[in-house]
Amino acid sequence: MKQAEQLPRPALLWIILAQGLLLLPHLERLPIWVGAVYVSAFIWRVQAFRGRVELPGRWLKVALSGAAAGGIVLSFGSLLGMEPMVAFLLTAFALKLTEMRSRKDAYIVVFLGYFVCLTAFLFSQGLLMVLYALLLIWVLTTALVSIHRPAARLRDLRPLRLSGAMLLQAFPLMLVLFFLFPRIGPLWSVPLKSHTAKTGMSDTLSPGDISQLSQSAAVAFRVQFTGDIPPAQELYWRGLVMSALDGNTWRALRYFEVPPAERREPRVTTQGPSTEYSVIMEPTQQNWLYALRYANSPTSGVMELSDYRLYSPVIIENEYLYRARSWPDTPLEERIGDWRRETELRLPPETNPRTRDLARQLLARAGSPEAFVDEVLAYFRTEAFFYTLQPPLLGDADTMDRFLFETRRGFCEHYAYAFAVMARSVGIPARIVGGYLGGEINPVNRTVIVHQFDAHAWNEIWLDGQGWVRVDPTAAVAPDRILYGLERAVAAEGSFLVDSPLSPLRFRGVGWINTLRLRYDALTFEWQSWVTSFDGQAQVDFLRGVLGEISVSRSLAVLLGSGVLTMGLVSLLLFRDRRRIPRPAFEQELHRYQQVLWRRGLEPIAGETPAQLTERAVERWPGQEEQISSLYRALASLVYGGRHSYVDQQRQLREMRRRVRSLTFLH
Amino acid sequence: MTVIASLQQRARLRWANWLDRRIPRASSVTLDQRRIFIFPSRTGFFFGACLLVMLVAAINYQNNMSFALTFLLANLFVVAVIHSYANLSALTITALGADDAFAHQRTAFRLRLSAGGRRGHYALQVGWPTPLEAKRRRRLFSGLTSSPSMVAVQEVDLDPGAQQELRLHLPVGDRGWYRPGRLRIESVYPLGLLRCWTWVDLDLRALVYPEPIAAQEPGGNDGDSQDGLQLTGSGDDEFAGIRDYREGDNPRRVYWKGLARGQGLQSKEYAAAMADTRWLDWQQFAGLGQERRLSALCYWVLDYHRRELEFGLRLPGTELAPASGDRQRDRALRALALYGDADHRQESSRQESRAQESRAQQQRGQKPGAAKGVRA
Repeated sequence: MKQAEQLPRPALLWIILAQGLLLLPHLERLPIWVGAVYVSAFIWRVQAFRGRVELPGRWLKVALSGAAAGGIVLSFGSLLGMEPMVAFLLTAFALKLTEMRSRKDAYIVVFLGYFVCLTAFLFSQGLLMVLYALLLIWVLTTALVSIHRPAARLRDLRPLRLSGAMLLQAFPLMLVLFFLFPRIGPLWSVPLKSHTAKTGMSDTLSPGDISQLSQSAAVAFRVQFTGDIPPAQELYWRGLVMSALDGNTWRALRYFEVPPAERREPRVTTQGPSTEYSVIMEPTQQNWLYALRYANSPTSGVMELSDYRLYSPVIIENEYLYRARSWPDTPLEERIGDWRRETELRLPPETNPRTRDLARQLLARAGSPEAFVDEVLAYFRTEAFFYTLQPPLLGDADTMDRFLFETRRGFCEHYAYAFAVMARSVGIPARIVGGYLGGEINPVNRTVIVHQFDAHAWNEIWLDGQGWVRVDPTAAVAPDRILYGLERAVAAEGSFLVDSPLSPLRFRGVGWINTLRLRYDALTFEWQSWVTSFDGQAQVDFLRGVLGEISVSRSLAVLLGSGVLTMGLVSLLLFRDRRRIPRPAFEQELHRYQQVLWRRGLEPIAGETPAQLTERAVERWPGQEEQISSLYRALASLVYGGRHSYVDQQRQLREMRRRVRSLTFLH
Repeated sequence: MTVIASLQQRARLRWANWLDRRIPRASSVTLDQRRIFIFPSRTGFFFGACLLVMLVAAINYQNNMSFALTFLLANLFVVAVIHSYANLSALTITALGADDAFAHQRTAFRLRLSAGGRRGHYALQVGWPTPLEAKRRRRLFSGLTSSPSMVAVQEVDLDPGAQQELRLHLPVGDRGWYRPGRLRIESVYPLGLLRCWTWVDLDLRALVYPEPIAAQEPGGNDGDSQDGLQLTGSGDDEFAGIRDYREGDNPRRVYWKGLARGQGLQSKEYAAAMADTRWLDWQQFAGLGQERRLSALCYWVLDYHRRELEFGLRLPGTELAPASGDRQRDRALRALALYGDADHRQESSRQESRAQESRAQQQRGQKPGAAKGVRA
């Protein structure tokens, strides 16, 4: 192998460092053995480097790659999907370390490294992740530079400096391209993140689902109101409307279950005051959006469904920003259609007989549907019901009978479920609404942070003349939940975030941690609203604001202009000091010095040197001896002396001009 | 077929002429934008393909940070153009000279690389293209996408202000002046994505002696030699006296004792050497072809020099008076090397000299290192 093709040692070390750093962000979604492959590949490589073992032969490599693919299929169930793909990429990446001998291999590893870095973004585009990725790219680029510095020593950090400088120089044009490059839709459908990656509320609800979700401290979405933030007990974020009860599970109606006549966007006459806000959702891999009732959205691509909720036809895979406007006092569906009424009354026959009996008794005592609601809530309040994050299991049949008359310990979905069954059994249209309640107000930027543990389920019943009315039976059992949030409601139980002991949310009592957390969250909001949720619509708005009009020619002009500007600046940076003032500039100054003296009355003598002229000048103006002779000495040393840096020369040239000019005023 | 060939020929000639105008022959060249070529390397194209894949991933996943990463890397590529160019620019290459050699042997070409004041030059590959590439080199786009295979490559790193002398060993062609053709300096520093190169026509030439080939000793010399022996009646080693040292005298015959006594540099003279004057004459090898004759003469020049004999050389139009020592040998070899159209070659037009170079380079290829000539 030619010396030029061999991989220099510093490059190898940089690559190993980069590989280790690349593994870290993916560690949580990789099977443990991938880490083991990394460590063994690393040890193998180091031992081979020390001459202890041979690098693997071809057949061993084939066997190892096969084993890796097999292991991934075993761990993930298939090779398709994003996690297995990333796992495969990383395993191949680790194995490549053991066969890396030449520059060509190193190129492949570095380019693969860039790609692995990209896959990390598919899982998170958070600020910290991006900063970490910048570090990674820096290390990878340094490895790329080191490949071409065979003679360099390990401690030579010049490749690090050079790659950093180059990345910085590439940065401005990157920004331009980022904002200019048209955001077109996906070219073809791509493997999604696997099912486990779906987060937040799902469109089915069984008892125990929400209490499980409430263990998570992750952020669901952030909201920024244009006006005042409504009080916490008004922040019912509607996301899902579950009208169908299948066995023991509530679910939203499927698209095809709704008759075409009912699929239209609802027509609503808005009433009362309204609030405007924008929401940035964390990726959920689902379609539903959250808003206060009744909301519509000016953001294009947001649909409104017949049960008055917002819906995105595209799965939300990245941070998604949408605007919404809500009119809380607007009556919804004052006149109900037959199909709707029938749907919202349907119950599986002959289930929960004791619950139905109870409902009949309560309705008989109340007389009207409105009074019935109060009776049910009073029942929950007065009987010994408990609000708990750790509800007991209820079995499969007649679950509500079991809940109401035996366990009596439940989370919001239990109460909502019980209420819906009772209302429907007595002929009041009722359904369960899933979403979030409340949120944490970030004083730094006045956003409302809604966490997964704010997940909530409540009911809507249809009352004649009022339309759909919100009823929250949880409020009867645990008024603290509505007013102060989950943490306070389950404080006695001590079950808040028991599974995430290190979550910063658990340290809200510690002042500086909390301040830091809130500041970072505010930064995240800015980051998300400007960068990660920048989509086609945002691009159109932004470009129209900046360019005035969106046209290919203007975009190209901006692109070319900034490109030329960048290249010019980089060139200036690289080639500046090479330009020195050529000697004639100083010689000219010496000549002017002579001219000034001649003009002042010293007759020019043919063949006289500047030095002789200086002597005559000193004789003529003895008082100015110091001024004249020191100027001559300075000029002579600049003309005949050593070279100086460009900046020095500029300064000296200016000074000489000034001093020569001052000779005009000799007396 | 022939039409295409002639068109190709014409294209090559135009390319060569263009290159000659752009980078004329000089003994010292400082690289600037007229002399530096730059094009993505194969790795660069591969990188471009990787970027495309990344862009598609970014589009398909609608992932903004992936867009940003892709654009950052793409711009890294763009910025690398300037850095690659800066790595070659302001580099000065100076021709220092070349050692003489026998035909089809290797010789060392010496050059000096010096860095400009502010920037260093790294991972420079300095060398001449292999003969096959030399033929190809006149094609317009050769060396564009891939580096031509080169002989006598050296990798050089120069820090700012530093300079380095190189000795590059090349096989030479036939007797006469040998020019190695255009020197290629290339580098893929700093990222390997772009190849930056130059073809420098350095004013470098090596004198190539004829290949020494053994032949029968010229007949007349035997007689002369016998006469000499008879005249002196003594052996080769008979000491005859001491005279002042002349340049080119054999160091073994320097009178060291005298030097030690402070008598200055003197040489011992031997009777046999003094009397044993031989002539190497073009006419003595009648019947052989021109080159064969020169080879035979060369062989005997070396032989006589080794035996420290005094000899003269007669070629048509040239005559060297009898003498001995290294200097006489060098003068004789030079006369043999430049015999015939040598002067004409030296003064020849650029066209012809290029044709000669390419011939030389082809021969270099046909006999790679085949020369096992006699070492002087």
